[in-house]
Amino acid sequence: MIQAARIIGTGLATTGLIGAGVGIGVVFGALILGVARNPSLRGQLFSYAILGFAFAEATGLFALMMAFLLLYVA
Amino acid sequence: MSNFINVISPLDQFEVRNLLSLDAPILGNLSLSLTNIGLYLTIAGYLVFIIGLLSSNNNKIVPNAWSISQESIYATVHSIVTGQINEKNGQVYFPFMYVLFVFILVNNLIGMVPYSFAATSHFILTFSLSFTVVLGATILGFSKHGLKFFSLFVPAGCPLALLPLLVMIEFISYLARNVSLGLRLAANILSGHMLLNILSGFTYNIMTSGFLFFFLGLFPLAFIIAFSGLELGIAFIQAQVFVVLSCSYIKDGLDLH
Repeated sequence: MIQAARIIGTGLATTGLIGAGVGIGVVFGALILGVARNPSLRGQLFSYAILGFAFAEATGLFALMMAFLLLYVA
Repeated sequence: MSNFINVISPLDQFEVRNLLSLDAPILGNLSLSLTNIGLYLTIAGYLVFIIGLLSSNNNKIVPNAWSISQESIYATVHSIVTGQINEKNGQVYFPFMYVLFVFILVNNLIGMVPYSFAATSHFILTFSLSFTVVLGATILGFSKHGLKFFSLFVPAGCPLALLPLLVMIEFISYLARNVSLGLRLAANILSGHMLLNILSGFTYNIMTSGFLFFFLGLFPLAFIIAFSGLELGIAFIQAQVFVVLSCSYIKDGLDLH
């Protein structure tokens, strides 16, 4: 019973990755638009994009961490 | 209901095991052991040393390929530190940031080798790094600004009525920096390795099921290979992001934005 609840909880927690997907798409979409407006800023904007990608990925991975914690540890 | 089967979980690859241990009842139950994480951290240390030796290139002035890689890592971290902290005075923090970058990068890359051990996937290691960095930045801020350090928690142009709430929110967000810096690195490496482990298990089961399934299993295998490439990129990116954010926190301590 607990094992079933654990698996259901894991599945529910994994839906946090929707936010990660949307966030990463927004960041790189903004990078494309920014470089389209001003191609000379490509290096600087790319490094900001990588920083933003790491932040967005990290937030999604917090949710994935909760999912793994529920599945294997709790 | 009490027959439990021994299930192999994807978390097993991260288990810290004693490789060589010495347990003696002397000196109050002494228990020294070389664990697998200790071994891989030592291997990482020797690897950095050997790469440094290879880059010295017999003390020639002309660089070989190893020297060029070392110079590019140096230039990357130097540009991060001077860009984030300060052009002139920021170089004091460069050795620490360089060691942090190389430590995280080499341990991430050693974890990418099949059947090896990813030391940076352990929360205790990344939390100790991140707590140390943020505590150091806080002490730096206090030693430079005294009690004016608390002006860090007051955002610019804030209406007076909202001030208590905002200060509390900023304070909690500052405390969360300790956790988020380390959690980001460990969670990325852990989830990447666990995903590869699970997918490989499934793909192996597919590919060993029959003759047709071998060719059918090449599609998930291609995905696993592509995802391993992404993991390699993540290894570099997470090291760079850790250093960029550490420099940003040191700058917050020094300049109080």
